[in-house]
Amino acid sequence: MSNRVAVVGGGISRFDNPRYELHEELCAEAVKEMLADNPNIDYPKDIDAVIYSYFSDHLAGQLCFHWIIHDYLGLLPKPAYRVESGGATPVDALINAYMYIKSGIFKNVLVVGWEKMSELDTPKVNEFIAAASDTDWDFPVGGYYTGYYAVLETRHMHLYGETEEDLAKIAVKNHNNATFNPYAQWRSQHGTAFITVDDVFKSRLISWPYRAYNCAMISDGAACMLLASEETAKKFTDSPVWITGIGLGTDTMRPGDRVDNPMYKGLYPEDETVYPGVSTKTAAPYPEMANFGSIRTSGDMAYKMAGIDNPVKQLDFAELFNPYDGVELTEYEDLRFCKRGEGKTLVREGVTEWGGELPCQISGAHTAAGHPVGATSIAQATQIYWQLTEQTANKWKTTARALSGAQRALLQGHGGTGCQSGVIIFERG
Amino acid sequence: MTYRPKKIVEAWEYNKQWDEWARQGNWSPVGWRWVEGPKGYRLDQLSTANYLVIQRPHASVYHHSYGMTSRFFKGLIEKKLYGAKCPKCGAIYCPPRAHCWNPECRLQETEWVELPLRGEVHTFSVMAFSATPFLKTLPFIIAYVRVEGCCTTVPTRLMKINPWDVYPGLKVNINFVEHPKGDIMDIYCTPAETPDPSKRMMTQEQIERLKNDMQKVKEWVVRKFGSEAKPSIEI
Ligand SMILES: [Zn+2]
Repeated sequence: MSNRVAVVGGGISRFDNPRYELHEELCAEAVKEMLADNPNIDYPKDIDAVIYSYFSDHLAGQLCFHWIIHDYLGLLPKPAYRVESGGATPVDALINAYMYIKSGIFKNVLVVGWEKMSELDTPKVNEFIAAASDTDWDFPVGGYYTGYYAVLETRHMHLYGETEEDLAKIAVKNHNNATFNPYAQWRSQHGTAFITVDDVFKSRLISWPYRAYNCAMISDGAACMLLASEETAKKFTDSPVWITGIGLGTDTMRPGDRVDNPMYKGLYPEDETVYPGVSTKTAAPYPEMANFGSIRTSGDMAYKMAGIDNPVKQLDFAELFNPYDGVELTEYEDLRFCKRGEGKTLVREGVTEWGGELPCQISGAHTAAGHPVGATSIAQATQIYWQLTEQTANKWKTTARALSGAQRALLQGHGGTGCQSGVIIFERG
Repeated sequence: MTYRPKKIVEAWEYNKQWDEWARQGNWSPVGWRWVEGPKGYRLDQLSTANYLVIQRPHASVYHHSYGMTSRFFKGLIEKKLYGAKCPKCGAIYCPPRAHCWNPECRLQETEWVELPLRGEVHTFSVMAFSATPFLKTLPFIIAYVRVEGCCTTVPTRLMKINPWDVYPGLKVNINFVEHPKGDIMDIYCTPAETPDPSKRMMTQEQIERLKNDMQKVKEWVVRKFGSEAKPSIEI
């Protein structure tokens, strides 16, 4: 039971819209890349179980898609499960694989995630994604996730005063990072030129304060990761990356129910006291509709397990769940990179930019690398694995975004409007 | 057949054409294209391949019961706003919950109370893009409104106000549409007070940018839907 869990390989099939290859073909490409990089993996013999990650049955019109993937990958009759938790699905799949290995029942667990979102037009994709919100309440009003996340960001802006320019700076950082990423949709569609704050302001308004460049892309793609027990990890690699902390947390389905939520009331008193006087105080001032309580809860659990009490100092970089740029800013606060209300300061001081103290989204993440939901966090985890094992320069064919000597990184993912969140801490061996 | 009720008390019977429409969207191809596209898992390793892309429609009609919250939605049809009040802790929910979630109340069943048609904007967004059913009504404002006395906020549309005049704390009236259908879109909000310009969330520069955006969205909607376009914000 005290067995540590290692990451011993990962692979990505690039994010784009459209990818014409079939879902199972994208998954095969990701697994093939991992196998090519890790000749020590005796495939499929070494795989004890598989956890599959895809977000939506609607987007492909196919239920139990993982049964197609599983036999396509030649992994019968091994145990296989699908995890389903909205945008949290891929991080949840990784956490489940970790727990499978911790249970002692399985030694090596493969995680495969994918999504193809290009089969429907954009308004219909928005509609099907929004089927993950309360279809009796939020859905019929027509905001969908662009709207839900916008109202949350408006509330945070109202309380803490970040500006559209702060959000645009996050967009610039992430898009420019993605121009180096050979798996990124932005680079496929727009090339390698850097963008500016002005370019963000010129992009189409979607849901004030969000513009097109502030929003996640609609993408096709796949990714995989192989986790192994301490006992078997050394067979695969001399340089494993260890998972030293995992965390999970939840919040309400309807964001509008968070204002007086009795379950969060008093839970984080330090964040209730920094609440400014610009608005009527709610009965549950943290997170209410401004921050993400599930992210705080999942982050704290992972920090405790990994022995982290000063994340900015103890983490070298992070890959966060950023469907909209205000979410990244708020996550800085919820993950304790700064105090509540100081997310904008981190943006203005460049702390999370490449070269900053805690670079976030070196991959470009959701708004620039792309967001095929079931694959996204697994691809981010694979990018973390490559950074921690110093393979990024080779994989990306450039040193422009390759870290050297990085020891520890954080992955955070969530679903809905922060209805469920997961955090994983990765450490180099 | 779904829901064979013992007795139908009252009804707005749906047009059975919808059943026919749902039957027509039956997963069978209605067209195809033989296309040329990229193949490959990395941008630096692409080749070209041909793909067959079919068009395959699908549709359904859901027969959905609102369960124990039915009183709320029937109330909308009657142009009355109801909340659910917990007899143990006194919390009033709108959106309603049939069982109180307060940890001390151990899922106590709630009771119906009629609510005042007044509330306050908690937060909002100006929508310039949406999904299929609502594209024609772009641009529009969504607001999460705390109905007076309630401990939750309701997603709703905010009308008859310039988007830059909206701010959290703005007092609003709750109105019913002329012909309610039995979902939350049967209500919408309008300002109950003259907006205070000093509380605006946007600078003059941002307002000008937003006006320009609104204009572009309206042009797009008119171009796409012609006379069916019904933008919700007048500039
Ligand atoms: Zn109660």
